[in-house]
This record gives sequence, C-alpha cells and structure tokens, in this order.
Amino acid sequence: MRLSQIKLSRPARRIGPAVFLLLGACLGLAAFPRGTLAASTGDHLSMVAALSDLQAAIAEILHANNSYVTDRNYYHRASQRAINALEGVNGPEYRAAAGTPGDAEGVLGHLDALLHRKGTPVWAAPLDGAEANVRGAVAHLLDANKARELMEYALATSRALAYLEVARGRPDEVGVFGGLEGALANTVLGVPEGATVVDGCSDPAHAPSYGVHGGYIAWVAVPASVGVHALAESPGENSLKVVNGVIVLPTAAAALVAADCRKHAEATPAAAPVKTAAKAADPTGASGSVPALYTKAQAAAGAQVFANNCVACHGTNLQGTAAPSVAGMDFLTSAHKNGWTVEALQYLVLNDMPFNAPHSLSPKAYASVIAFLLASNCYPAGNTPFPTADQPAFAHIDIGPVPGRHPGVNNFGVCPVG
Amino acid sequence: MTLRERLKTGVACLAPAALGLSAVLWLGAGTALAQSTPNASDFLNAATDSANWILPAKSYSGNHYTNATAVGPGNVGNLHLAWTFHPSDTGPMEVSPIIYNGTMYVTTAHDHLYALDSVTGKLKWSFTDNPHVISFSANRGIGLVDGNVYLGTLDGHLIAFNAETGQKVWDKVTVEDTANAFYTMAPVPWFNPSNGQAELLLGVSNGDWGGRGNLAAYNPTDGSVIWKWYTVPGPGQPGNDSWSGDSWKRGGASAWTGVTIDPATQTLYTNLGNPGPDFLATVRQGDNLYSDSIVALDISGAQPKLKWYYQFIPHDTHDWDPVMQPILFTGKVDNQDRQLIASGDKAGSVWILDAQTGKLLSHTPVSFQFNQDTQPSLAGNYACPNTLGGVEYEGGSFDPATNTLFVPSQNECGFWTATKDVVYIAGQFYLGGGFPKLVGPDTGQMNAIDVGSGVFNWRHHFNLPNYGGALTTASGLVFSGNLGGAENAFDAKTGNILWSYDTGAFITAPTEAYVANGKEYIVVASGPAGNASIPELPQSGSASGPAPVISVFTLGQ
Repeated sequence: MRLSQIKLSRPARRIGPAVFLLLGACLGLAAFPRGTLAASTGDHLSMVAALSDLQAAIAEILHANNSYVTDRNYYHRASQRAINALEGVNGPEYRAAAGTPGDAEGVLGHLDALLHRKGTPVWAAPLDGAEANVRGAVAHLLDANKARELMEYALATSRALAYLEVARGRPDEVGVFGGLEGALANTVLGVPEGATVVDGCSDPAHAPSYGVHGGYIAWVAVPASVGVHALAESPGENSLKVVNGVIVLPTAAAALVAADCRKHAEATPAAAPVKTAAKAADPTGASGSVPALYTKAQAAAGAQVFANNCVACHGTNLQGTAAPSVAGMDFLTSAHKNGWTVEALQYLVLNDMPFNAPHSLSPKAYASVIAFLLASNCYPAGNTPFPTADQPAFAHIDIGPVPGRHPGVNNFGVCPVG
Repeated sequence: MTLRERLKTGVACLAPAALGLSAVLWLGAGTALAQSTPNASDFLNAATDSANWILPAKSYSGNHYTNATAVGPGNVGNLHLAWTFHPSDTGPMEVSPIIYNGTMYVTTAHDHLYALDSVTGKLKWSFTDNPHVISFSANRGIGLVDGNVYLGTLDGHLIAFNAETGQKVWDKVTVEDTANAFYTMAPVPWFNPSNGQAELLLGVSNGDWGGRGNLAAYNPTDGSVIWKWYTVPGPGQPGNDSWSGDSWKRGGASAWTGVTIDPATQTLYTNLGNPGPDFLATVRQGDNLYSDSIVALDISGAQPKLKWYYQFIPHDTHDWDPVMQPILFTGKVDNQDRQLIASGDKAGSVWILDAQTGKLLSHTPVSFQFNQDTQPSLAGNYACPNTLGGVEYEGGSFDPATNTLFVPSQNECGFWTATKDVVYIAGQFYLGGGFPKLVGPDTGQMNAIDVGSGVFNWRHHFNLPNYGGALTTASGLVFSGNLGGAENAFDAKTGNILWSYDTGAFITAPTEAYVANGKEYIVVASGPAGNASIPELPQSGSASGPAPVISVFTLGQ
C-alpha cells in the first residue's frame, strides 16, 4: 500500500492535530513582543538539528512504506527507528537495538532544551505545537510497532505522519501551523550565529542580512549579484523586491511585522496569510535503474519449464487462460499498483506454483522460470543467473513496466525470449 | 393491495430509470418490457415455468429441476445436437445460462457475455471484457431483471447492459478492494416483498486473497448498496471471539457460490467459504465463524439478521469450503413431509438439515476422506479430498418422485504444505502454504442419496472426476456432465446411463433444460479444465486445450 494514497484519502486526519492547537497560535500572536530579541547562542543549531531529526524520522517511515519487504521485523524496526529519532536516547520508548537515524537528543530532546527557559519567545508556540504533535506521532508509531499486518502498519504510520507533518510545519506560516520549518523561516531561531541582524521595520542597507523585529524575521536580504546564496531555511514568501541594490525576500511574518511597525500592535490574529498548499506528493518509489537479474541462457531454459508446467493456466502468450497474465502490460500495471517486488514474485512462484503441484520443481527450474518471466516482462539480461534463494535486495526491486523501448514486444507488451 | 400487486408496482416504478430508454418506449411498450426480462412474479414462479430458466439454479430453491417431460427415459436415446456456439475466449466454462423468452445469456471465463437465440444459437449481441485477473478466471452467469442484464466481473465491476441491445447502461466498481476481491457468481435478482424494491444479491470472491467476505444487495438502477452483510463478525458481534487476535480482518469466508431463498419466510440460505489464510491456521485459532458454514438470513428488514448457522467444518485447514448452492426442498423423513435444506462441501460430505432450525438430519460422505483432522505441516502431509475434490459448486438436484438427492462428486487426494509465516501481499494469494499437489488417481461419482436415510440409492462411478451439476426432470431423468467431456443422462431410479454425448471439451458446468417452439432443449457448457486440470485428462496440460463450446440438444426433427 502506498503511503501517499492513505494520506491523501484521509485529509481529516491532518486536521485533527492541527485544530487541537489553534488556540495556542492565537495567544502567541496576540502578545507581540518588543525589540529585536535575538536568539541565544546555540539555539539556531539546536533548532536545525531538531528539524533534521524530524525529517530523518519521516524519511524512515516513508522508506519502509515504499518498500516491499515481506518481513514484519523490517517494518517494526523502521517505526522504532523513527521513534528513536523523535525521542532521542533519553526518551522512554527509545530502543537502542534498532539504531537511530537522528542524533542523541532527538527532536524532543532539542525542543525541551529550547523551551526550557524563562519567558515565552515568539517561537514557543510553533515549538510547543511541534512537541505535542511529535508525542502524538510517537503514540501511533507504538501502534505500528505492534501491527501484525501491513495494512495496519500503513494505517498507524500514516496517522503518525499526519502528526509529523504538522510538527514539521510550513515556512509560509507563523504560529503553530508553522511548526519547525515555520519557526526557522519566520523567527529569530532561523538566524545563524554571526549573521548581520537589523531592525525589520527598516529596509536593508546591505546584504546578506536579516530584518528582525519582535522575535520575527520580516525579511532576508541577499546580494543582488550573480551567485548562490545560502539561506538557513527558505523564506515562506515567493515575492521579492530589490531595495538599495539588494534583493529582499519577505517572510510569511512580514505583514505581521509591518503591522507592528505601524504601531498597530493589536494586529489581528488572522493577519498571517494561511496558505493551504499541500506538500509535494511522496516520491513514487518507481524503479529508477532496472537491474539485470538473470542470464539469457537461463531465461531460454525457463521457457521450456514454463511450457511444461505453467502454460495450461497462464497460456502460451502468458496472458492467462484459467489463471492471470504473468507478463505484459496487464500484469505489470497491476504489479506496480499492488506494489509487488522481485521478492514477492519469487515467494509466490516458489511457494504456490504450479497451482496443482507446488514445490514440485527443482530449485534450478524455479530460478530459470523466474528468469523467463523477467525476460518476458522486458527486464534486461545480465551475466549472473537468477539465484535459487531469496536475496535481501529483491525486496527493493519493484515489478513494473520497464522504461524504454523493447524491440519485438508483442501487442500484449510481452518481450520475446530466446 | 396484495403482495403480488405490490411487487408489480415495484417493477413499474423502477423500470424507467433502469432501462434508460426513451419515455416514448416506456409509455408505449409496457408489454415489450415484460418480454425482455422477467418480473417479480416470474421469479417467484420460476420453478414451474419449464419454458425459461431465469435463475442460476432454475428457481430460488436452488433445485435444478424441470417440469418439462418431453424428454424422458423412453426417448432420451434420441437426443441429438441441435446447435453449438463457440465463444471467443479461453479458460474454463462454469456458466449457468439464463434463458428467457427466446434468448439465452451465457458468459465465459474472462467475462465475455453472449446473448444467443435459444432456438438457433444465433448471436444477438455480445460484450467482451478483458479484465485484470487476480488468480482464477471464471464467470458463472448473469442476472436478468428490470430490462437489463447484470454481470459481475473479475476486476470487481458490476455492469448493467440493456437486455435487448447489449448496450451498456452503467458500470460501477462495487467491491471494496480491487486488489483482493472480484466476482465470479451471477447476480441474483430479488424483489423485496415489503417495499417492492428490486435488488441484486451478489457476494464477492476474496477468500483466498486476504479479504473479508460479504454478501450485498445492490440497487439495479445504479449499483448503490441497499445492504451489506459481512460473513466474518467484527469486534463486539457474536462470533468474533471465534477468531484469535485480529485474524478476522482477513478471515475470508467469502459468499461466492449462490444464494437460495425461501420467499414465503424471506429467508436467504447461503454457504460461506473457507477461512483465510487457507493452510496456516495457527494464526487464526478458534472455530472461525461463519467460514465453512451454511447461514440462514432473515432478509425481510433493512439489514439481514442471522436466524441460524451450521458450521460444517470448524477451523478448516484445507480450503474445504461448502460451495454447492443449498437446495431448499420438501422431503420425506419417517413418512412425514419436512422442509429441508441440503448442501455439499469440498471435504466430500453431503449435509441435510432442517430448514427452519438448522438442525442436522444426515451427513453422507460421498468422496474418499483421509487424514482430515491433521493440518498441513511445513514438511507436508497427505489428506483427501484435494482442494478441488469433494462436492463442488455446480450443484445438485432433488427429485420429489423418488425422494432422492442427486449430487456429483470427486475423489482426489492431495499433498499439503504450510509455510512458517503468512504475509499479506495485495493482489496475491493469502494461503500460508501451497494449494495441494495432486496424488493418486482422480475419479468421481454421481450419487443418488435417499433423503429419508442419508444412504445411497445408487452411485455411478467414473474413472474421471464428475463436476457437472445435476439436472433432474419430472420425467425421471438426471443429467450431468463428466469432466472427461461426456454429457450423460441417468435413469433417476436405477442410475443406468441411458444416453451419453461427448461434447469434445471438459465439463465443469451444470446442465439446464428449457422449452422453445414446443421443443425441449438440454444445454451444457464445456471448455478447458482450468483449475480442474488433472494428469489423466488428454490435453489438460496444454495451452490450447479444447475450445469453449455451448452444446444444446433436442429430440428428432
């Protein structure tokens, strides 16, 4: 099951965690602080590390959901690794054995350290929101750890992802909806140490510089010269203007800051534009390069095995008579849709086929008939025969239409063999 | 208003929307409508209408029995081929043709649909689908109501065609998950007597693919769900505790064979399929209700209510589902008339129960049974029958004249293996093992079982499996096709074969009879053996196999 499908078909789940914190957002915005209020030393790096841990946890889940491994432990390890990245080594659910894609502090460790101080900086709201949502995600990941079936796992992890997306937030929003990315893009946490900081009420005199006011970044100025300019995080706004010979990128907090600069301190909580543009869809997981998994001679031998054992149900042109097609467009499209891998193909052939006599062929014959199937489905031949036993890598090789032109392909999309 | 009037009103109300025809035709052609498809009273009287065959098993009773008497023991030897029709498809032929007012509707393995002239075999219209096949290609027929032909497909669509023109009226995906659920059974028309609402009763095939079985009533006008009944109880429902953990979620028990209805009590009887995963039963400890059970559902209300169930095989470990459509009949037991219901399972048993209470009356093993209580192991073990042995879905018949139940059966044995673990892969088998490897000779019988005693009146032994569903005639004949391709007529009293014809292809379909132009016709479909392939069959292992064919027989010229 593709994770993206679950997420997209259940938009309501995304709203759940977000609405829960709306009140906090309003309160955070209503009390507009005075002055530039620069971030303390180390806060920026700590914040970047938190976001990095969060992204690592998300990647871990996406990777597991986009893989086609049939080993339950593989998935449970992935959800545990995500928990580890979120909680850090001091978290109650941290399990060292699974390893962690994050650092020792974890998202929660960094957030706790940032929030553990006197006063309430403007970035406290997005961080508080992120922390609550990370804890929600951990609860669902613990469910995922207990899942016995892929569907359950996918459901639990997709719920966790919904929370993590809110925690990650959007650079084009301030308040809780901004999450970690919003805090980095719109508040002083996004200002690297040593960077030039000026009052956000004024225009920049030189670049690079950050225009900061009341704890918010109003704009980021970059030199109007040719070249690449590194920003800690992308600013939320797309519009830009050229002032005093430098390029000014207003952030999502620009309007908020401008309002305060005009002494409209009682800025309405809704002043920040709320963009609802969804994140880009997950990568499809489609196979980029197609590996060569068998030899030509092996596929030719497999053609004979197929003729003797499989042809009655799957047909001479592999389009199926009593049984389904096993090559060509119909097979490859449904294989891709259902997320089959070479591992799944091998598992099914070795365990269930031939239908009336499973396990009846020699390991060599099974390997060669799989070679024949790969060849018929236009997978390239190589120098190494298809093995008789499972290989871990097979779990990551998709079955699906092989890109490119295939000479000699018939009208079912089946490649000639031999 | 009488019940029948209410029913007729229901038809009239639904017809315009269902037909999608012009208002002019609707207003002007009330009679034409009645001729294109049966109405509610036609369905209620289907059993006594020897001219037509409008439900998969002739009538709601599930009894393949005809009042037609033109063909009898005295003249059956003169039956000869009237016409044949060759569908352009491959795969096994399992269809129960639907025959109404001069048109015969047949389907083939890949959901091809043909409307034929029932007297000449001439093609009126056809529809050829090429759906994605999940595992088994088969279609067992169509439903005919409201001016439309209804077809359930291998990719989970329910499609309506105009019965006269073949034009598609609507097409809707009605399964919940196309990766593991599809249709093979014929949609069964039913008019709910309480409101005259026409319904299509249809269950999904999803039992061997990690689905959860369900039977639903669809609105023939648009395919919307009127009710849906899950065959595996969910949390909080009685019977859910017969599944360990959350194994009920992929518990199977699909309703894929056929539905039998008692219109008088609005009770629906159906058999539910095997539990999943088929062979690794350690992951689903418990009795696994209502898998391998016959259920009696009260369908008079908005949602079906379970009246009773009888589980033939608690905790099945061999994919031995009871797939024969139940036969509801009045049989004689101890010289008293009893309302009974009979069924058969792939473990090789025929069961007769009290239709009101579900209490077991008799249990007759018809196939060789061996080592049935041992579940498949990693190393493998033997058990009989094979997964495709015992009594299959093609069905039996009851003869009131001799108080006899006729059921075809198979003797096959298998070598079964289980796997260490079972993993759900969308769109693939969810077995926890392999389908069994055939071992030993594969044979079959036609069984005549005395209803009063559960003992055989006679058995006819074949050296090949005997799948062909039994048709009993009021004239004292039993028709059934042998897997080898011979369509046979037995004397109902003695079991002697009075007539036999080699159709040239393998028979796994039921036989039917109808009357047109004053002549009685016998029809049976044959084709490749499909999953019924065995080493004994010539060509069984070849790709081409015999071509599918519809064979129709009649007497003299």
